Amino acid sequence: MRGFDFVAPTTISATLKAAKGRNTKFIAGGTNFLPDLRHQHDGPAKVVIDLMRVSALQGISSSKGQIKLGALATMTDFLTNKIILKEAPILAAMSEKFAGPIIRNRATVAGNIIDGGPAADAVPPLLALKAKVRLASEKGRRTVDLDKFLTGYRQTAIRSDELITAVTFPSPGRNHKWGYYKLARRNAMAITVVGVAVVLKVRRKKVEEAGISLGSVTAAPIRCYEAEKILEGNVVDLELAQKAAEACAAVATPIDDIRASAEYRKLMCEVLPRRLICQALDISQDND
Amino acid sequence: MKMATTSKSKRTRKSSTPAYVPPKKLPISFTVNGQEVTAEAPAHTSLLYLLRDLGFTEVKNGCEAGDCGACTILLDGLAMNACCALGVQAEGREITTVKGIGTVDNLHPIQVKFIEHGAIQCGFCTPGMIVAAKELLDINPNPSRHEIKAGIAGNLCRCTGYVKIIDAIEAAAEDLSSKKGKRK
Ligand SMILES: Cc1cc2nc3c(=O)[nH]c(=O)nc-3n(C[C@H](O)[C@H](O)[C@H](O)COP(=O)(O)OP(=O)(O)OC[C@H]3O[C@@H](n4cnc5c(N)ncnc54)[C@H](O)[C@@H]3O)c2cc1C
Ligand code: FES
Ligand code: FES
Repeated sequence: MRGFDFVAPTTISATLKAAKGRNTKFIAGGTNFLPDLRHQHDGPAKVVIDLMRVSALQGISSSKGQIKLGALATMTDFLTNKIILKEAPILAAMSEKFAGPIIRNRATVAGNIIDGGPAADAVPPLLALKAKVRLASEKGRRTVDLDKFLTGYRQTAIRSDELITAVTFPSPGRNHKWGYYKLARRNAMAITVVGVAVVLKVRRKKVEEAGISLGSVTAAPIRCYEAEKILEGNVVDLELAQKAAEACAAVATPIDDIRASAEYRKLMCEVLPRRLICQALDISQDND
Repeated sequence: MKMATTSKSKRTRKSSTPAYVPPKKLPISFTVNGQEVTAEAPAHTSLLYLLRDLGFTEVKNGCEAGDCGACTILLDGLAMNACCALGVQAEGREITTVKGIGTVDNLHPIQVKFIEHGAIQCGFCTPGMIVAAKELLDINPNPSRHEIKAGIAGNLCRCTGYVKIIDAIEAAAEDLSSKKGKRK
């Protein structure tokens, strides 16, 4: 993909107009784009559209219980933004384990979702928060649940003329419980072996609503609906946490690769969710 | 005019290999270490290549994949990997390389401490390492050793084993905070 043209619009409408043409491609932080450009020589793009100057895609806001992440919100924003630290600290915990500080300065949330790979780290916490993806094109706007947006290995429901404008999710409330774990070979700059995100809304000791998801063990990160159902409406004890953890492992279809065996990953899909649920709800575990 | 004739002849051409059209060059201007720079480059040129071609060879090329941090610069004050951006994305921006932090004649305390602690061996990682250290200490003037390690997590060094680099950054932090008030 060489010799393309380049435009850097400053408004969403100018961006959508540019994206209408054939063979266009967006660039945001570039942390996937540039390594990809270097490895694939003859990609299709004729025009590359830079999103970094579109101010309407920046920022994180909260209104009426809905939190809105602009498409250009970065992993560094997740570590410093007051709304995130108060309302969705799981995103800060995820970001701390994401690449290293320099990549985090540029890696955007929309770029990570479009990455669509099994190990896209922002995705499991966003799935557990029940996030939606806001899309826009010159033909109109639509909102898609994140779990429906991810359609397969590095595949999403986005159309070629569409732009992610924002990612939204309902605030889980100041008193929600959560847990995040990135199992990897190193503490930084590592590809996730198993990622687990747990968000629990608790009222009078009962789990009212649960969001549980896994990364790196299926073609794209997934929500564990069965495990969520097992917890919902109940006062959770170790036995129930274990049942939910088994339901998590049941949906995992991991592969063997240089980082870990499928067998080990499968086992961790049970151990880690149980541990996170127990830690979040202050349930003591005998063998931890 | 010239464009129109080329595309016409292209359409009637029988051969399956299209004529080679050199990539269009785009004008780019930005500042590097306070100095205004203008250039022309195809849109696919990475910011790393653009800077090195312009003579800013203190920005090192270690991997071109975001992994090593040798190409670390500040873009409008924020550390980034120059290999992970297009040159054209830097239009109108302010870039700082290690030479904008301190020069041989006027070393920054971080650079002084790197020398004093033997934190430089082959020196290939040093420009990126110092820029990363600068951002770390700007955000967190008194980091713990753990925080220093996390702050340079994106910068590889194949020589020192990191201990001396961490010592140097720790010493620079002390030095800078003791000088605070005297500096602007
Ligand atoms: C050294 C290194 C370490 C990394 N570590 C991690 C890690 O630990 N965890 C992890 O999950 N990822 C990691 N990544 C991958 C990458 O940094 C992230 O996926 C990042 O979030 C991508 O965002 P970006 O803004 O840089 O995307 P870009 O590279 O700018 O774009 C990527 C793709 O997304 C599309 N796109 C971007 N924004 C939009 C939008 N608003 N609407 C529609 N399409 C859009 C672009 O067209 C492009 O196809 C790493 C990458 C590198 C180089
Ligand atoms: S050359 Fe940019 S990170 Fe290695
Ligand atoms: S001094 Fe040689 S790579 Fe760091």
